[in-house]
Amino acid sequence: MSFLENPILGRELFSRLRSPKTFMAIVSVAVLTSLLVLLRWPTDATVDLVSQGALQVFRPVAFALAIALMMLIPAFPATALVSERRRGTLALMLNSPTTPWQIYIGKFSGNVVLAFVILSVSLPALAACYAMGGISVVDHLGPLMLVLLGMAIQYTAVGLWVSSIVNTSDAGLRWTYAAVLALAVLSIGPTIFVGKLSGVKSLLAHWATAVSPISALQSITGSQAQASEIGISTAWPDFLGASLLITILLSVITVMRLDPRRLERARPAGKVIGRTKPTNRYAGWLRRVSYLVDPQRAKSNIPWWLNPVMVKEFRTRKFGRLHWLIRLISVSGVFSLLLTVVAATGTVSWGVERIAPTMVLLQVALLLLLGPCLGANLIASEVESGGWELLRASPISPLRIMIGKLMSTVWTLLLMLLATLPGYIVMGYIQPAMSGQVGNVVISLVIAVFMVTTMSACISAFCRTTAVATATSYAVLLSLFAGTLLIWVARGKPFGPLFVERALLLNPAAAALAEMKTPGFEQYRLTPDGWYLGIEISVFCLVVLALRIWQMTRPK
Amino acid sequence: MSEHVVETRGLSKSYGDFKALDDLSIYVDRGQILGFIGPNGAGKTTTIKILVGLSRPTSGSAFISGVNCSENASKIKRLVGYMPDRFGSYDNMRVHEYLDFFGAIFGINRRERRKRIADVMELTETTYMQDKFVESLSHGMQQRVGIARTLLHNPEVLILDEPANGLDPKARIDMRQLLLRLAAEGKTLIVTSHILPELARICDTVAIVSGGKTRAFGPLDEVMRSLCPLRSYEVQLVVPEQMGQAETILRKILRESEPLTVSTAERVLRFPTVRSEDELAKVLQGLVAENILISQFREVASDLEDAFLSISAPGMSKA
Repeated sequence: MSFLENPILGRELFSRLRSPKTFMAIVSVAVLTSLLVLLRWPTDATVDLVSQGALQVFRPVAFALAIALMMLIPAFPATALVSERRRGTLALMLNSPTTPWQIYIGKFSGNVVLAFVILSVSLPALAACYAMGGISVVDHLGPLMLVLLGMAIQYTAVGLWVSSIVNTSDAGLRWTYAAVLALAVLSIGPTIFVGKLSGVKSLLAHWATAVSPISALQSITGSQAQASEIGISTAWPDFLGASLLITILLSVITVMRLDPRRLERARPAGKVIGRTKPTNRYAGWLRRVSYLVDPQRAKSNIPWWLNPVMVKEFRTRKFGRLHWLIRLISVSGVFSLLLTVVAATGTVSWGVERIAPTMVLLQVALLLLLGPCLGANLIASEVESGGWELLRASPISPLRIMIGKLMSTVWTLLLMLLATLPGYIVMGYIQPAMSGQVGNVVISLVIAVFMVTTMSACISAFCRTTAVATATSYAVLLSLFAGTLLIWVARGKPFGPLFVERALLLNPAAAALAEMKTPGFEQYRLTPDGWYLGIEISVFCLVVLALRIWQMTRPK
Repeated sequence: MSEHVVETRGLSKSYGDFKALDDLSIYVDRGQILGFIGPNGAGKTTTIKILVGLSRPTSGSAFISGVNCSENASKIKRLVGYMPDRFGSYDNMRVHEYLDFFGAIFGINRRERRKRIADVMELTETTYMQDKFVESLSHGMQQRVGIARTLLHNPEVLILDEPANGLDPKARIDMRQLLLRLAAEGKTLIVTSHILPELARICDTVAIVSGGKTRAFGPLDEVMRSLCPLRSYEVQLVVPEQMGQAETILRKILRESEPLTVSTAERVLRFPTVRSEDELAKVLQGLVAENILISQFREVASDLEDAFLSISAPGMSKA
């Protein structure tokens, strides 16, 4: 069977290209890149042979394309294998003469071809950059396309690998985006945080940085100065090498997982020993010490003062049980304290002023990683599982359903924010002048929690499947939080200070960064107007959600 | 106020031009089991959804214990235990927690809920699975948990959509016994099923719908008689050599509308008839008078499947 005759490739590619969602994605990329070129196009119409003018147009287009690929490409492979497994079609394919490699290659190349299609619609914008002069195919356009292709294959391999492990489509999406975030952003952490290294550590840090496309893109778009300022400098061929290595490694692992015996998993039946006297009381004691609460103890009945829908939401989440929440909050707390202690003891040259924005960004990253998937699960998963019909057939009021569902997400996110408070308190102790700023940052982040929760829940109420709700929530919230930061990146030209400030008002994370006097944000006054706007958006989403839930619970 | 526990009067429901239900009038009395039968798209689920307050009729009305289903949906939800054809499973939730959640949303207080959960688990024989995850249960187990869930708030009426669907023979027998036990306890049940022999064994009343219209409604034997007026009789002989003689005698007695079929291997002669018991006695007398040795002379019972097929035959749904 030749590559082009692979039936899975044909099915994957055509089913995706026929999808209205793919069409929307392609059109969005075309519009975004064209708009960026239009906005940044110089008004004096002179050919710039020293390339600065062209680079000013080329840079945002390159980064926008990279972000678009980062957001669009992982969504398809993240659900590709898990959805087939849940439908039972993967078993059918594995029982046919088609080999696991053919299945994998079919799915992999289908997604890469889709990346080509997405990139092809940006060619007119890139051609316009080339026409301005000063941009060459060898130094700029060619390397950019190769880096974007490297991203496409890397993220496709990551998505398929995650999809072969998880049990649900939304878990596939969640963990794939987390892995992509880790590969693209967190991988540059060692170099930034630990600073100049030597020997093997330096080599490891260099290769960790090479996994991320950020440094490669900066080297192509002529932003080396900014890159070296934060200590990262990797050439684009290194990124390509790292991408290829990761792709091959993950492909081999994924194909090995495409084994019918591995896919045959027993459904966990659950294990509770708390109803009877434990046979080994030391084991119970050890569990209580390890987890603070005994995970194997039978849960008591829901008390009258707790919203049953909220309790149900917590209990049905894999990490919603109390012992998991305690772990999650503890890790957040320890991490924030560690960051502050590192800053205070001078292990790195950064002061509190630099650690604080880093903490804000990490909190927002965590919020954006968990918030959309928690919120998107609220209604869509209930509708998908058939549980909504049972809720409708019960006398519980729509308001109580909404409050229970929202609070289950808000509490989780707020508890995580609270866990990082000790870090801020230590910061306030080191620099008492920052206490007021810390208070404002916390308010901004709390508003961000409400925005993320209400927006994703609102999206969830209009989607029939969890996977669609999760992907849409991520797309909308990342556009809001990362998109406004993109406008900030393009401050000065073409966006004036007023426009940038208005855009940043939509982003509570930007308000937090401005409060912390983060370099580049000092000049913007985002509070309290940004807070009011955030509250207004949350209230609007809340009203829409309430109306939608009321409508969904009414007799049809 | 209605005398029946469940009653629909001229119930109709349209979706645009499509008429899902057309003037449906049925009723069920306390402690009775109504078998609600019809081909796919006949209007069964639409009727059920109206009865449980999840859908409004275009015209007509439905009552449960005298409460109008479309005007007082919240009260109806407490009177009815509804088990849809989809189980409505939640991940990472144990059976006890699952029942506890549904008890809580029905507003049952904590102490009462604990007792109710124990009672319904005992009734449905699900106590042993209380610590298992709901999604790990087999289909049969899930169906039993589903019934336990519908019983939590002690409803007067249970509406079960395809409860025997996908069950193995043992689980079907268990389910049948459970439904009969519930009826004996005074619950009124409306059960839809495609497994008609199962329904025939437990139902007091049947309603057969097709194309949104009631084709037959009433006690099971009456419906059978009205839909299958021809009763099938068979005569089994002791001596195979008398088969030819018996055939000749019967052909003389029977009319043209009573075609005789002969199965020599079984030593059986069969014929459909509308004759009364007295007339049939004369047929038997005629055979005995000619010294035919008969081991059995009996009616072959038509089943619900025959009745169902007679109304769901092509053309009937458009009638």
